[in-house]
Amino acid sequence: MTALLEITDLSVDYGEGTGSTHAVNHVSFTLEHGEFVGLVGESGSGKSTLGFAVTGLSKPPARIAGGSILLDGVDIASLSTGELREQRHGGVAMVLQSGMNALNPVRSIRNHFVDIFRAHGHVARADWGSRATELVGKVELPAAVLDRYPGELSGGMRQRVSIALALSLEPKLMVFDEPTTALDVLVQHAVMDTIIELQKKENFTALLISHDLGIVLESAQRVLVMHEGEIVEDAPSRQILEKPGDDYTRMLLSHYADPRAEVVELPGFEDRHRAPADAHPPTVSSRTRRKDQKAIVVDHVSKVYPAPRRGESQVTAVDDVSFTLEPGQSLALVGASGSGKSTLAKLITAVEKPSSGSVRFGDLDVGSLRRGQFRRLHRDVQMVFQDPYAALNPLHTVEYTLTRPVVNFTGLKGVDARRRVLELLDTVGLSPVEEFAAKLPHQLSGGQRQRVVIARALASDPQVIIADEPVSMLDVSLRAGVLALLEDLREQWGVSLLYITHDLLSARVVTDNIMVLNGGRVVERGNTAEVLRNPTDEYTIRLLDAIPNPGRQDVA
Amino acid sequence: MTSVTIAPGSAESTAAPAGAPAASGRGRALGYIARKAGLLLLTLWAAITLNFILPRLMPGSPADAALAKLAQNGPVSEATKSAIEAQLGVPTGNILEQYVAYLHQVVTLDFGVSYTFYPQSVSELVSTALPYTLVLVGVVTIIAFVLGTLLGVLAAWKRGTWLDTLPTLAGSFASAFPYFWTALLLLFFAGYVGRLFPTSGAYGPTATPEFTIGFLGDAIYHAALPALTILITSLGGWILGMRNTMISTIGDDYVTFAEANGLKPRTVALRYAARNAILPNLTSFGLALGGVVGGSILVERVFGYPGIGYLLFNAVTNQDYPLMQALFLMITVSVLIANFLVDILYGVLDPRTRR
Repeated sequence: MTALLEITDLSVDYGEGTGSTHAVNHVSFTLEHGEFVGLVGESGSGKSTLGFAVTGLSKPPARIAGGSILLDGVDIASLSTGELREQRHGGVAMVLQSGMNALNPVRSIRNHFVDIFRAHGHVARADWGSRATELVGKVELPAAVLDRYPGELSGGMRQRVSIALALSLEPKLMVFDEPTTALDVLVQHAVMDTIIELQKKENFTALLISHDLGIVLESAQRVLVMHEGEIVEDAPSRQILEKPGDDYTRMLLSHYADPRAEVVELPGFEDRHRAPADAHPPTVSSRTRRKDQKAIVVDHVSKVYPAPRRGESQVTAVDDVSFTLEPGQSLALVGASGSGKSTLAKLITAVEKPSSGSVRFGDLDVGSLRRGQFRRLHRDVQMVFQDPYAALNPLHTVEYTLTRPVVNFTGLKGVDARRRVLELLDTVGLSPVEEFAAKLPHQLSGGQRQRVVIARALASDPQVIIADEPVSMLDVSLRAGVLALLEDLREQWGVSLLYITHDLLSARVVTDNIMVLNGGRVVERGNTAEVLRNPTDEYTIRLLDAIPNPGRQDVA
Repeated sequence: MTSVTIAPGSAESTAAPAGAPAASGRGRALGYIARKAGLLLLTLWAAITLNFILPRLMPGSPADAALAKLAQNGPVSEATKSAIEAQLGVPTGNILEQYVAYLHQVVTLDFGVSYTFYPQSVSELVSTALPYTLVLVGVVTIIAFVLGTLLGVLAAWKRGTWLDTLPTLAGSFASAFPYFWTALLLLFFAGYVGRLFPTSGAYGPTATPEFTIGFLGDAIYHAALPALTILITSLGGWILGMRNTMISTIGDDYVTFAEANGLKPRTVALRYAARNAILPNLTSFGLALGGVVGGSILVERVFGYPGIGYLLFNAVTNQDYPLMQALFLMITVSVLIANFLVDILYGVLDPRTRR
């Protein structure tokens, strides 16, 4: 039997002539019938460009510059537009990266199926209804979703619908481009399970494109590792895990660990408990450097939002939560989306007022602050946001972005303010500082942007930093650096850290204590390492189980 | 290792209740219409009331103005004074009684007598002028919207080809011309030099307004030049608006996914890309429709076309207060009603608004 997909010496360029860049650079690989293969790479590695080329969806400025893509012996690039469209039934199907938006908002789910049936004529009109019901059944959705519009479904349900739609084409090859990236951890896990089961049952060939080596190793039999447009490793999953042949693969692997393990170490992070006992004194000394160290005391706080629509019940986002964040301490706030962790951050920064209970920072009652009094709080409590791409004004240079809070909070002016800005850049490790100060956000990488966001938070010399998923948008290779920076700030400057995340592994390496939130309530709390090693609450266990773990895979 | 089985889909299945969509859908649609209708009534009331309050906040009255003019020629007798006041309608009673009387007048469409076209009533004047404007400006606005939108769809779908550049360039070129300048050019070349079309009026000197083929043909013949003027100047806006929004919907994921699923190009273009792109344009269409009743003052003026715009022009230049007040009220009301209709249309076309 010949290979289903045979890619030889494929290059995809962006643009033409001298200004063109190779997104995919002389890539060759094959996919056998019925295989489940993963394609892993960080952002900019060219993996999505490759996925689009395989599905015949490359659009200008992307251009196939050389090589061939043979599907069952037929070169996809040689097909006319019409032939390409027709081969989509029984050929290559694709599930898109942001599957949340892959459905037409003004068409019902049923009509999405009807459009496909009508375009290819492979299902008799009389069977349209039953076939659609059968297809949504395969992705474990009730038939009732057929009469709904995309906006009425959750993200996970929408992604299941797009999988069912792709499946309705009866494809030989399914390309999944980051199918679960935008979804919540638990949902992500459930959708991946469905994909794996479907692949076994329906016997199509699957190419799973992802930035997450963990997800890929858990599901794929073979893994292609892509780096800067080239495939640097092509090996069975087990071999990648046990004997990775390429430095880049080894680097990616080194960023995975089981948060439940006795000892957890990531590049740049020693296990907290193995660190020498005398590693802590600098923290203490820097703490004494500050005159007034204040704790954040959250006391029986609840936040209730009014019903989103008439006839629905009100939403309790935070339900009777109490905790204290001591100076210099780091506390992880963990939970799936909707668990209330971001609402807690809003309550602490006085963006929202608690419905009951109180939030105190030293002698300041945060909940009763009035407009104009916020500055007193924000001088000492600062936020680092999730999305470094959206948190910086694209029109302002780094220097301008940092000068604003320096002038506002410290009263420094002119040369002094500039000196402070450069100092901040040095603190967050962006050197040469002069050069970075002059840059605009788009000239920085994601990790560098997040460092600027952190520098901005540091401008007022705060006592507390609230970091809301600070690394979830970053590539794994950049995550460790940002996390190490946060850890440094705590040790060197005595800044206390409230670390909000759904990522239990990063929580394990940067925090001392942890609180697990579910439905607005604290379901488990304690020392981070102890809680993660011996979880007692069922929800914590589910969160831990949902983490893709390369070592736990049972697919040979 | 503890293992906990997660029922697949359990995490997300709670997000949307799987109720009976058909029954609740109809109820929701009726609720949506009722809410929009309630809002319409409220804004109508506010507009009508403002129309009552504003003139009363202004100093003086039409009667005062007329009396002051007469007083320049010598003393005015009591009899003359009360005659003028009776003629021009000086309000009597307290403010509440005036308000009730005013509401009654509005409901019965009794807006008094015009000063300029005395003794014709305002309602008579408006009802004679309205059909001309409705047909001329209304029909042309709809044609411009439909034609412009279709050209915009074509331009966006075939972007980069001559089907894109030609209508886009011609459209922006034509709409860059001021209204009256296009009107004057057409008047000069097609009317005066070419003698292809009449240069003024809504019908020929010998025709009498009636519903016969002959008269309608004559009316259309007379409406050709003003219609062309409005079409030329407004078409470009619709083409550009539709083209630009559709180019952004073409980049949306659902269009890419539709292509990945091998839908026919026509389906992708019309039901996916264009269908979503038209939604924001409906708002501008509603505003344009509302503006129809106000007429195109400049166009009607240039072509001596006896529509609402022409009437409004006369009312303003002659300080004909009753006529002005009635016309302003009518324009406000029609903008509100047009927006209400577009809201309803939105509800039909976009399931996301039906909540």
